[in-house]
Amino acid sequence: MTDKNTILEVNDLRKAYGPVEVLHGVNLRIAAGERVALTGPSGSGKSTLLNCLCGIETIDSGSITMNGEPLQHIGKRGLERVRREWIGYVFQAFHLLPTLTALENIELPGQLIAMPIKDRKARAKDLLHAVGLSHRADHRPDALSGGERQRVALARAVMHQPRLILADEPTGSLDSASGARVLELLERLSREQNIALVLVTHDLNSTRICERTVSMHDGRITG
Amino acid sequence: MSETRTALYLTAKCTLRHWKTSWASYLLLLLIVAVGVGAFNGIRQASRAASANFGLFNEAVSGRSDFLIEAPSGRIPEASLAGLAYLNGQPDWHLLPVVEGSIAQVDPSGEPIRQLRLVGLDLIGLGNLPTFNEQGLSFAEEDSKWYQRIGRGSGVWLSHTLARQAGLARGDSLEFVAGGRRASVAIAGVLGESDQDMPDDLLVGDLPAVQVMLQREGFVDRVEVLLTARTSRTNRALLAQIEQRIADGMPPDLRLRPAAERAEERASMTEAFRLNLLILSLIAILVGAYLILQALDAAVVRRRQETATLRSLGVGARVLFLICLSEAFLIGLIGSVAGIGVGYLLANGAVHLLADTVNTLYFATSADAIRLTSDDWLLGLSLGVAFSLLAGLLPARDAMETPPAQILSRGDWSPGFVWLRRPTIGLALLAVGLLCLLIPPPTMGGGSKMAIGGFLAAGAWILGAALLSGQSLVWLAKLLRPLAQGPIWRVALSRLGDGSSRHRLAVAGLVVAVGMVTGMLQMVGSFRGTIEQWFDVRFQADLYVSERGGSGAGSILGIDPAIMARLEATPEVEFADTLYLQTVAAPIGGTQLAGIDFEAWQTRIGQIWLKPPGSLQPVAGAQPALISEAFGRRFDVLHGGRVTVETPTGPRTISPIGVFSDYGNEFGTAAIDAPTWREWTGSERPINTSLHLADGTITNEVRDRLRLEFPGLDVRNAQELRTLALGIFDQTFQVTSALNGIGLTVALIGLMLGLLAIFEESARSWQTLGYLGFPRRALVLTAGIEGAGIALAAWLSGTILGLILGWLLIAVINVQSFGWTLLWQVPFTAFLGFGAALTLVGFLCGIVSGSWWFRNR
Repeated sequence: MTDKNTILEVNDLRKAYGPVEVLHGVNLRIAAGERVALTGPSGSGKSTLLNCLCGIETIDSGSITMNGEPLQHIGKRGLERVRREWIGYVFQAFHLLPTLTALENIELPGQLIAMPIKDRKARAKDLLHAVGLSHRADHRPDALSGGERQRVALARAVMHQPRLILADEPTGSLDSASGARVLELLERLSREQNIALVLVTHDLNSTRICERTVSMHDGRITG
Repeated sequence: MSETRTALYLTAKCTLRHWKTSWASYLLLLLIVAVGVGAFNGIRQASRAASANFGLFNEAVSGRSDFLIEAPSGRIPEASLAGLAYLNGQPDWHLLPVVEGSIAQVDPSGEPIRQLRLVGLDLIGLGNLPTFNEQGLSFAEEDSKWYQRIGRGSGVWLSHTLARQAGLARGDSLEFVAGGRRASVAIAGVLGESDQDMPDDLLVGDLPAVQVMLQREGFVDRVEVLLTARTSRTNRALLAQIEQRIADGMPPDLRLRPAAERAEERASMTEAFRLNLLILSLIAILVGAYLILQALDAAVVRRRQETATLRSLGVGARVLFLICLSEAFLIGLIGSVAGIGVGYLLANGAVHLLADTVNTLYFATSADAIRLTSDDWLLGLSLGVAFSLLAGLLPARDAMETPPAQILSRGDWSPGFVWLRRPTIGLALLAVGLLCLLIPPPTMGGGSKMAIGGFLAAGAWILGAALLSGQSLVWLAKLLRPLAQGPIWRVALSRLGDGSSRHRLAVAGLVVAVGMVTGMLQMVGSFRGTIEQWFDVRFQADLYVSERGGSGAGSILGIDPAIMARLEATPEVEFADTLYLQTVAAPIGGTQLAGIDFEAWQTRIGQIWLKPPGSLQPVAGAQPALISEAFGRRFDVLHGGRVTVETPTGPRTISPIGVFSDYGNEFGTAAIDAPTWREWTGSERPINTSLHLADGTITNEVRDRLRLEFPGLDVRNAQELRTLALGIFDQTFQVTSALNGIGLTVALIGLMLGLLAIFEESARSWQTLGYLGFPRRALVLTAGIEGAGIALAAWLSGTILGLILGWLLIAVINVQSFGWTLLWQVPFTAFLGFGAALTLVGFLCGIVSGSWWFRNR
């Protein structure tokens, strides 16, 4: 039974690529606004778990319930809606759209949920200001530094006021100063807007922004 | 609605910005689509304009008539016109007797400059025609001088265009030959305004004067009936009533029919020719569609990170599908709009070529100005957009299926067209093609047959072979792999041997073009080879004489019999094989009735006999005839039987006793004894003669002497005739060659775009090779080998496909459409040369694409 305060609940999740099972019955529960770090060595299944959580990877068995809705029963279009409305994703490689400006990249999730133009533009500008890049609004990603791109990606991830941010090694491609700034922003945005965070990281130092750390090993939660 | 809005937003924000970044390649793509649509539209417009005078030449002057009164022989003796006296003085219509024919304008030395259509009209009666008045033409500068000028008698009027082209003005003299005689005529004036659209080969004169010029005194070709009230034309009941009134008193030797019927009859004669050309012009648009597929596929590969990101943000698969299709739609739309312009230019370039072909093979026509109609716009846009959308479907599906997890984590994953690896669809298409061959060819309006089954089989086999051809790449790479020593060759061959769906797609697109080009090469080569062989057997006389300036079916006037008698009396002439020819109505459309020396044809005149004379038993009571293969197939008398044709003296029945090869026309020829021909047709005018000279005669001396003695005749030796005929043949196939060239060029550009997509897909592999110490030069060389490998595999598969298409074109489509058997000749040396050239071009495409790609990465 899912708690009213639980935003995400994973039960006995299994996932295999061909004969190789990479997730062996994962169980996880995250409360609204809670910040959880997911750590573990390479190949332990962290990224696969993250992809399963946002529905861009299918699961073989078990269940994922988000905001009280079981994801395995809502179909492809339902999963697309979940990603549009409830999830913000931050990638290690940023994955900003190269043809859009920084402001347009941030605006995009608002456009996808049909947010009124006026509100969308105002919120995108606020977020751009919040990540300290107001002066870069009209720049395209190829004109931004790695740290700046990731800050734009962070703003984009919270633009549509999701319930959950999934961040996959968000500082993995950044130098330590930029990484620290991104982590600080991530923590602030999550806290101020009461968005739960799952932070996948190798770096134990990054876990400091989280309230709880979950370790994975060989496709299982070990602690 | 929301999905559509999102798709439009992303198209504007992403797709169009990608276009801006890679403007050069998109410009190229749009140009290629434009060429594809342009080739189709251009050929359509050109063949329409080239056949503009399906109607009647005098229409430009007298306006459109409503009914025609004709004689079955094609000529009405003036004595018969007395039988039409009951039609005179009626207020509802006007009668316009017309005589028309071809003459050749010659220079002072007697060399033909241009062929002209001379129309004789009753110029005084013309002034009363409402249609003439609508044309707004004037035969004199001042109306008051109208009758004065006409009264001068023998002058002719010409259009401003012709006056400009020929450098003629009022008062000048025009030198010409007609029916073997040389003469001259004064230019009485220039018709109409300078901007008035009139045929550029039209001469108009007073009826009696033109009868003299064309040596047709006492005859008119037809009498046209023009209704006084132009509004009656739309009133079908009234038209039927008037037709009945005219028909009621019609003498039995004349017949009445609506004028539109003749245009339809003419149009139907060339229907198969025009349809064949139109189908051929689709090659460019098909290859263009393939190129769109390649380009969109390349775009999907290039943008898959972006697509995966959008997917992770919750953009639905349907939105991605719509974005991709929107791009295809835009390419199709913009390319088609440009294509309509390109088509207009191509049509202007091709119209005279096609008009010459129609003139040579079918009937007299002249090229009209190219007109762009709303139908052209609609068809061009629809075709371009429809083919683009069809081509965009597969990449759109690919974009939809892009799995974000793999792309975002591993970067180089893409499903591609996995069905290309499965042979089922390809094999099924080959089987469908076989079944299509069972479809019987329907008969078109003019009696020609259309090889629908053959064309459908060709389409199915081309697609099927393209789908199966990717496997040849895998086999080729496996075959060559043991020979590969260096790392460059090993890498290149391992990539080719992997046979990714994009490698297969690149091979498939090229196979379509190679197959079509090699198939057409065989058809044209075999046709030419057959004609050359036919020439060797058929034309063994020493000299060939015909009307000067006459260049084909459209210009036959016939040689003056008195001149022919003088010619045959030349001392060195031992034997003259004289040919008489007339088009007659047959059970299906028209056919040619020839008058020949029947005995000589069976014994001493060389022919390629499919069935030697005497091998078929004539039907009792029918006139024995030697028939061409086309005639035999058209009227189903290849194995004997009878056919009744309409001659000027009534219906006559002929029965074949032998079948000869003939490649002159698809309507067929039945040759009967010359005296019988003269009796049946009432004509004494032969169209040509082949002179066999006495042994020891110096041919060229006699030729030169005859040329001086008969300036209105064209006298050639066998070699000169052969050169002329092959020149006409080559001219007929010029448009075909041009369309083939366009198709192949488009396909090679497609190969380059395909290679770019392949390199993009393998970005990680190139990066790894770079880390391993592969210099950029080696990577570019690997790309070149990949390009060469794809081209070589496409050539191998395409040649096999081409051989099958060659057989199909020669043994099925040609036989069904034109009724003649060609000797199948495979130009193996040309194929090998083509393969070597294609492989080299493939290598260069690889090098160019590789260099460009590595530089931009």
